[in-house]
Amino acid sequence: MEDQRVTLLPVRVVGGVTVAAARGRLDHLTAGALGAALAPLLAGCKAGSPALLLDLSAVDYMSSLGLRTLVVASRQAAAQGGRFAVAGMQPLVAEIFAIARLNLVMPCYVDVDGACAQLA
Amino acid sequence: MKSLLARLLGAHHGRSLALVLLVLAALLQVWRQEAPLFGLRHLLFDHYQRLHPRDRSAVPALVVDIDEASLVAQGQWPWPRDRVADLVARILAGRPLALGIDILFVEPDRLSPPELARRLPQLPGETLAGLPDPDRRLAQALATGPTVLAVSGVAAALPTARPGGRSVSLVSRGGGGSEGLPAYGAALGSLPALEEAAAGVGLINTPPDRAGGDADLGVLRRLPLAGRIGDALVPALGLEMVRVALGAAALEAQSGLRGLETVGVGDYRLPTRADGQLLLHFGRLAPDRRVSAASVLDGSFAPAGFAGRFVILGLTGVGLVDQVLTPLGEKIPGIDVHAQVIESLLAGDALRRPGWMPALEVGVLLAAGLLLIVALPALRPAYAAGSGAAVAAGLVGAGFAAFVAGGWLFDAATVIALLNPLFILLLGNTLVDADRQRRAAENALQASREAAARDAGELDAARRIQMGLLPDPQALFADESRFRLAARLEPARAVGGDYYECFALDDRRVCFGVGDVSGKGVPASLFMTVAKTLAAALVRRVDDLGEALRQIEVELCRNNPEVLFVTTFIAVLDADSGRLACVCAGHDAPVLRRGPTLLRLAAGDAAGPPVGALGNYPFVAFSRQLEPGDLVCLFTDGVTEATDGRAYYGGDRLLALLAAAPADGPPEALATAIRDDVRSFEAGHPPADDLTVLVLRWDGPAASRPAAAAA
Repeated sequence: MEDQRVTLLPVRVVGGVTVAAARGRLDHLTAGALGAALAPLLAGCKAGSPALLLDLSAVDYMSSLGLRTLVVASRQAAAQGGRFAVAGMQPLVAEIFAIARLNLVMPCYVDVDGACAQLA
Repeated sequence: MKSLLARLLGAHHGRSLALVLLVLAALLQVWRQEAPLFGLRHLLFDHYQRLHPRDRSAVPALVVDIDEASLVAQGQWPWPRDRVADLVARILAGRPLALGIDILFVEPDRLSPPELARRLPQLPGETLAGLPDPDRRLAQALATGPTVLAVSGVAAALPTARPGGRSVSLVSRGGGGSEGLPAYGAALGSLPALEEAAAGVGLINTPPDRAGGDADLGVLRRLPLAGRIGDALVPALGLEMVRVALGAAALEAQSGLRGLETVGVGDYRLPTRADGQLLLHFGRLAPDRRVSAASVLDGSFAPAGFAGRFVILGLTGVGLVDQVLTPLGEKIPGIDVHAQVIESLLAGDALRRPGWMPALEVGVLLAAGLLLIVALPALRPAYAAGSGAAVAAGLVGAGFAAFVAGGWLFDAATVIALLNPLFILLLGNTLVDADRQRRAAENALQASREAAARDAGELDAARRIQMGLLPDPQALFADESRFRLAARLEPARAVGGDYYECFALDDRRVCFGVGDVSGKGVPASLFMTVAKTLAAALVRRVDDLGEALRQIEVELCRNNPEVLFVTTFIAVLDADSGRLACVCAGHDAPVLRRGPTLLRLAAGDAAGPPVGALGNYPFVAFSRQLEPGDLVCLFTDGVTEATDGRAYYGGDRLLALLAAAPADGPPEALATAIRDDVRSFEAGHPPADDLTVLVLRWDGPAASRPAAAAA
């Protein structure tokens, strides 16, 4: 469990939405790496540009620092007039997300396809 | 200039400059081939001979020695020729294989009739004619056996020297002939009548450069196996004796591209240098090979002792002959050298330094040099220092093995001498590199220690801020009987940011809560301090908990560059009524134990996001009515997300523990039990996050009344 580092998979564009997929554990060891990987994508997440969707279906754990990375991303996108959302959470991650009530902070979708349909 | 040198020295750990040195060394070795460096080569080869001299246990050659004892017995040298004739006759009576005579009979005997006639002109002719001729007697004696007389090649034509002399034919195979042999202008030999009587004549010259040759350091190491005097080819005395003994008509030589390779007669050949010079493998001085001429003449040594031997007759009397120094460090009379040549010929034992040996040495020099250049900079300094010694020992050892096995002369000494500057350069660079690396490692270690100390200092500072904020519920509520409150916070190494709070708002109401700042270090601690201060102020002033929290968030977000936020659960208990007002901001729901029942104080839709995540969220409070004996347990994710590396502690384990806890146990014991259970679950796995537990038990208003009344 500890060896699994978070990785940002190759970015793809689905129906006018930029989809970045993370995988592994999202905790104090990996949150910084995810933030760094998201930074260039967030820089382009502005008003009028495609929405940025983070696919969490391969993320099996998220700590409070992981949550913070998502909040930071969400706030930056909002400040730039862009849109940032997450999708495809596993049950454990979804529970953590629900406890922290981050669905009030950023849009959360059950799956990537549905999210793309909504965001496009 | 200095920088260029420094660059060269430093380039590739000094390998570039080392390569240049190696090429220079190879060129020097080729150029100095005939004048070995510092005589090192001879020192090495002489040492090999001392360690491994030629075995002389076979006794093919004897020396009949006109020594001091003989001069005492027979009178001063030169002896009359008829006495020499007697000696020759006695030796030949023993049937030796050959008798070599290392004496030059240049002028007629003083007592020969022509000499007497010249000295005493008044002597009558018939008297003269009746006198015995000592030279003729010697000639007659020589003619009776296989005898070989000596001849010496001289450069200038001395009055007594003759051009040329007896010649032996040379059968040469492989192209070349006798061109490379030492050449002499004239011969200094014996009377023609004596030479004609003898079966052969042999050259007794040692190399012309022997005495003065710096290269040989005055040591006799080689001598020509044959030489040319005028047009005549003359074998060395020892070789001629073997030829005469074998009855062979000609010498045989084998030539190669570089000149002569072997010279010999019949089956007996020795390898030579290209100029026909034999590199002698000396045996130790053997006094038992000497027979005094006096003992032969007086019959005390029986002639039978000469049977089947090569016998050399010569002088060793002090003052009569030169002595030569051998590589073994012994001084021997020249006559012994001829005995050694004969022994070597018969045993086929000579030292070899063929024409290709220098090329091999250059090759070995280049190979060993390249090996050092490649390997040495990669070695640890201790091994690098030893590598030079190892290469040197290997070369000397291999050279000695080749010497013992076949008399091969491989010059390891010059190779080592030429490798030395290279080795010193490479070793120096390696040591400099090692020193530089050691310093770099020390600096890096120092830097990492400083960084660790800085981090530790920062963490420590953050930890002190965090822990300093925590109230002590036991001290705060020491006199309280309506409820009991206990809390425990254990910081983790990696992440921190938990806190708990409890304070009395007034006589009836107590505020408590837990929180978890998402972040670590000093910024998180300061954020926590601000949040705690704001909460204390706003909860006192604003009655509605939700509104209080909204105002806290607004204040916190006024200056929050790091986007820190905090999940929190805050509650206010009316200790008299048991009414519990709560607000939840992204925090896990506390557990409520009522008798055997366990409930979650879930806010449902009233729960808001973490404080600071949005900035101005309208938090909504909710309330529950407690019953006396109810237990409320607040916790952070340091409990539920504690891991043993495989699974998480989770909420279910916490519920099970709370269900099993004794009903009337003090909250302090319960908080400790939760901490202990989490730690034992982790089984040594280091906690990633702070662990906070806050337990409150409401015992009902009645319990407090008497105390309040009494007060």
